Amino acid sequence: QVLPARAALSTILVSARQKGNPILNHIKLMAWEYADIPADYVLGATTCALFLSLKYHRLHPEYVYNRIRLLAGKYNLRILLIMVDISNHEDTLKELSKTSIVNNVTLILCWSAPEAAHYLELFKSSENAQPTAIRAQQAQSYKESLLEFVTAPRSINKSDAASLISTFGSLQGAIDAQPEQITSIPGWGEKKVAQWCKAVREDFRVEK
Amino acid sequence: MSDNSNLLVKLSLPLQYQQDLFNELRAEDELVILARGLGLLRLVANLLHAYDAAGNNLVLVVGADDRENEWIGEALAEHHAISKTSNSRGLKVINTDRAGVPMRERIYQQGGILSVTSRILVVDLLSKLLDPEKVSGMLILHAEKVMATSIEAFIIRIYRQYNKVGFLKSFSDSPEPFMTGFAPLATMMRNLFLRKPSLWPRFHVTVAESLEGRKRAEVIELEVPMSDKMKEIQSAVLECVETSISELRKSNPGLDVEDWTVDSALHRNFDVTIRRQLDPIWHRVTFRTRQIASDLRVLRTILQFLLTYDAVSLVMYLDTVIAAHSAPPGSTRHNYSPWLFLDAAHVLFQTARSRVYRGKITSEELPSMSTSFGASLQPILEEQPKWAVLSDILQEIEQDSYLNPIRDDSSSAILIMCSDQRTCRQLREYLETMHLKLDQSGDGTDSASNELGEFDSRPSAELMMRRKLREYLNWKRNFSRVNENLYSSRPSPSEVQFGRGLNSSRPLVPAQNRAPPNKRRRVRGGGAAPFVAVDGPGSTVQADVEQPNQVSELMEQLRPSGAEANLKEDVLVDDLEDTEDYYELYEMDDLIMIHPYDGDMDEHILEESRPRYIIMYEPDASFIRRVEVYRSSHVDRNVRVYFMYYGGSVEEQRYLSTIRRENDAFAHLIKEKGSMSITLSHDRSLEDPQEQFLRTVNTRIAGGGKLAATAAPPTVVIDVREFRSALPSLLHGRSMAVIPCQLTVGDYVLAPGLCVERKSVRDLISSLKNGRLYNQVETMLQHYQSPLLLIEFDQNKSFTFDAFTTASTPGPSFFSDYTLSSSGVPTTSFSGSSLINPSSPKSAQHLLVLLTLAFPRLKIIWSSSPYQTAEIFAELKKNNPEPDPLRAVQIGLDLTIPMASSNTGDVMAAAGIEHRIFNQLPQDMLRAVPGVTPKVLERLIIETGSIHEIANMNVEALDPLVGKEAAQKIVRFFKKSVFEEGGS
Repeated sequence: QVLPARAALSTILVSARQKGNPILNHIKLMAWEYADIPADYVLGATTCALFLSLKYHRLHPEYVYNRIRLLAGKYNLRILLIMVDISNHEDTLKELSKTSIVNNVTLILCWSAPEAAHYLELFKSSENAQPTAIRAQQAQSYKESLLEFVTAPRSINKSDAASLISTFGSLQGAIDAQPEQITSIPGWGEKKVAQWCKAVREDFRVEK
Repeated sequence: MSDNSNLLVKLSLPLQYQQDLFNELRAEDELVILARGLGLLRLVANLLHAYDAAGNNLVLVVGADDRENEWIGEALAEHHAISKTSNSRGLKVINTDRAGVPMRERIYQQGGILSVTSRILVVDLLSKLLDPEKVSGMLILHAEKVMATSIEAFIIRIYRQYNKVGFLKSFSDSPEPFMTGFAPLATMMRNLFLRKPSLWPRFHVTVAESLEGRKRAEVIELEVPMSDKMKEIQSAVLECVETSISELRKSNPGLDVEDWTVDSALHRNFDVTIRRQLDPIWHRVTFRTRQIASDLRVLRTILQFLLTYDAVSLVMYLDTVIAAHSAPPGSTRHNYSPWLFLDAAHVLFQTARSRVYRGKITSEELPSMSTSFGASLQPILEEQPKWAVLSDILQEIEQDSYLNPIRDDSSSAILIMCSDQRTCRQLREYLETMHLKLDQSGDGTDSASNELGEFDSRPSAELMMRRKLREYLNWKRNFSRVNENLYSSRPSPSEVQFGRGLNSSRPLVPAQNRAPPNKRRRVRGGGAAPFVAVDGPGSTVQADVEQPNQVSELMEQLRPSGAEANLKEDVLVDDLEDTEDYYELYEMDDLIMIHPYDGDMDEHILEESRPRYIIMYEPDASFIRRVEVYRSSHVDRNVRVYFMYYGGSVEEQRYLSTIRRENDAFAHLIKEKGSMSITLSHDRSLEDPQEQFLRTVNTRIAGGGKLAATAAPPTVVIDVREFRSALPSLLHGRSMAVIPCQLTVGDYVLAPGLCVERKSVRDLISSLKNGRLYNQVETMLQHYQSPLLLIEFDQNKSFTFDAFTTASTPGPSFFSDYTLSSSGVPTTSFSGSSLINPSSPKSAQHLLVLLTLAFPRLKIIWSSSPYQTAEIFAELKKNNPEPDPLRAVQIGLDLTIPMASSNTGDVMAAAGIEHRIFNQLPQDMLRAVPGVTPKVLERLIIETGSIHEIANMNVEALDPLVGKEAAQKIVRFFKKSVFEEGGS
């Protein structure tokens, strides 16, 4: 906890340096206010962000290093929000990748001002969120799971899933079916049948 | 490699061009591009046999697929039997299914002709399990697929790095890929490390002389007209295609769209072409554009099925298309495939249905008045025009062989060639049943059979079609319920109202104004689909259109009569029979054989069956050449070929354009060959030592002045699974030492504390969603100081993550492979509520934000292409110590499943040369099953054999493995019947 209680507020804190940055116009879903902070944006109790436009970086390559130094080890998660607004970005990004590891900042790339604003909103709104959404498969309806299951092999599309399941009635039926039976379904060519049968009958292990 | 060895060897290359080519190949290394159907595999097999017979060789065949391996293996065995050479040992195949490390090592030591899967070969070469210097030569098949970044190119590079004397020959029989890009031939030659291309088009002088000099095959061309209804359907589909394409044009004005016309739509791969044009901006195109692109694929399939499927199967296919492409009620219209709303689509479905059955009173003018359906539906059952032509031909052949018997070496068998197994089955059933008539005495009231009885002599498919229709009606009955369970939830009351009103007043509102669920109903209504009213009073969607008695009457009409009933058994049994048994059981004479086109396999079929007559049910350019080769190779055999195609159809266009494109490609290649200047400097060994030295010194100075320069190049430890991607090859190309290992944690280890997990954009989203990445990052954090997530974009695709997901899209998620779409106008596309809701993230950005919040120590690297990644890796490796492969392998092993630890006893496996332990695809599928958490998945793949096994387990059997709750969920998922009421 580096910052005082103010940081617990539900607003994004914006450094006065950012005045005039077009992305501020796009922050619409969260409230924001100016504050005197070392980072450009404070997005939570332990999260801050620096904003860097590559165009600017090319003119003032030392700028971002000074800013990172000013953060001085505060904040747990330090985002470097990079706007890719030049076309030959390879070398610059290579250098910044290296920097991010040395200086312990996390790179996030965006390509437009609305997207940048979107990121800021997301970081703020997810500040206290649990990572359940990325931790495990989310509960889905039967239909969704079914489609995901059947269409996992390449080349099997959802029309095929529909005809497969409607022919055999249940997934078990479709899995137990012989290749010859599946071939008689319209739309199921030999390639698809072979892929499906291989997928459901293939051993999990390649070798014992 | 002694040249006189081929004196001992008996070859099976009767034609002049084949012999020329063979001698040329024996003499020097080159890239051979041969026109399709001229017997490339035969040439390869003969060449291999020549090496095989010489003995003391280790010849590698790279890039062959399973069937080619089989073909070559058989051919080598045959050659061995004929020429009785003592040294030849035949082909040995190493692919994923067999052969562990010790066994592979043994096989490599024995030598001979080996065909090795590329991914295994590259790992074995790198780990020196197979010493490249011991390889006496390499044959590359499918040279057209060797890109700069492909594994095959990587293999050749390693091979040439250590071995300058071994031979290297590559083959291709598809010249078309050599047409794209700048100086494609020169690029390809550079990838292949070859200097000389050798082109053999069909119009090559020697080829033409070989094939046309002696007796030519007799070819009779038959243009079969399509029926009126088929034409109608085809033009309707083309109209849909046209509209879809102009829609695409409208929404993607920046694209080069001049050549998107209906003409090109008749062309084979118009959807692929368009997809390729869109690919560079695929991340950014709108949901709608993607949908249209996928619609085009569906439309193309319909075009194709129109010609190959019988009328009933086509309707059945269309039904599934409609069902799958309609979104659940409540979603807005823009989630729909736009072509479904066209009048043309209406015509398409109507016409397709009218080929199968119609209501008695219904006429074209009064389509689908629900009252006008009258008492009953009547089967129409239009036959495919080709069927009648086929039976005519067979009759003609019968007469011909009776009247002018020719005694020669060919059997009097008749070979019918068609495109696939399904057509085979269809034709077989037709030929079996065409002379059977409906038994009139059995059912006096059956008007259809009465009418039919009058035309006794004509063969007809009546019986077959009736059987299909019966099956269709049965299927349809279930399907309506499946549909309800699967593709629609209960509609809201207002929609029910609308539905009812629609039914009673029957206005023919322009389709575009319809709400989707009603659309679906309308289409069905037109055809009066059979729904049985099992539905309760509250259930709605179908209850308003059908009249159960109509359907049952139709069924009644179709009840099998005497002859049919007898036959039915046979047909069913026959369905499960394999085609190959079908002909191998009998004598060759007087047989009709039906076969699908099967690439090089067709040569065997011709040789084995020695047919006197060949009927090509569908056109196939390469098969014609095969017949030519066959005919020219056997002077004493006569062949007559009947060649059938639908006039003015996609089929005809496709055939013509295939030939045209091949010729164009060859012309292009010949031109480029003429002006090609290759300066090859593959000999990297000359510059290497110096470069190596400079590099080592440089890095060490930068690393703190330590001048204890070792000559060791920078090292990267790479997980063997990663060898499918281009990156290892590129790293190797940058003179890094690449060590393949079986890593449990991470994909690449750059330095002792630096570990990288690589994700392509597509993988990224899916592995974020299913929790895999979360676990991977978690374990990386446990073992490495700086874990990195590498987000790698595709070389040809845009380097943009610019995705404001169409968050409001409740449509089926399978349309977009991952929800990385953008609407171009971001502000309209997401609503505030879904954005703020952290429990249901909608966009890729949101998932990524959650990941960084959960793991502040994780660093992210963004790379626009594999090339860029290689640059970044080189940069990151500067000043860092080299990684230790053994440690990298051991990390995480104790934590993982017992399965992996049992492998650690094996030293080779610990060194990581062993390839993957588990198959990926079944795991991906299991992850979609409700109740399967990562832990459950782990237990399942260890304790059970396959998905098939799990699907057939009950709760009691699964309980001890995964616990009661998960077991119940899993069993419910697999056993749930979509025919039941009240689903979802």
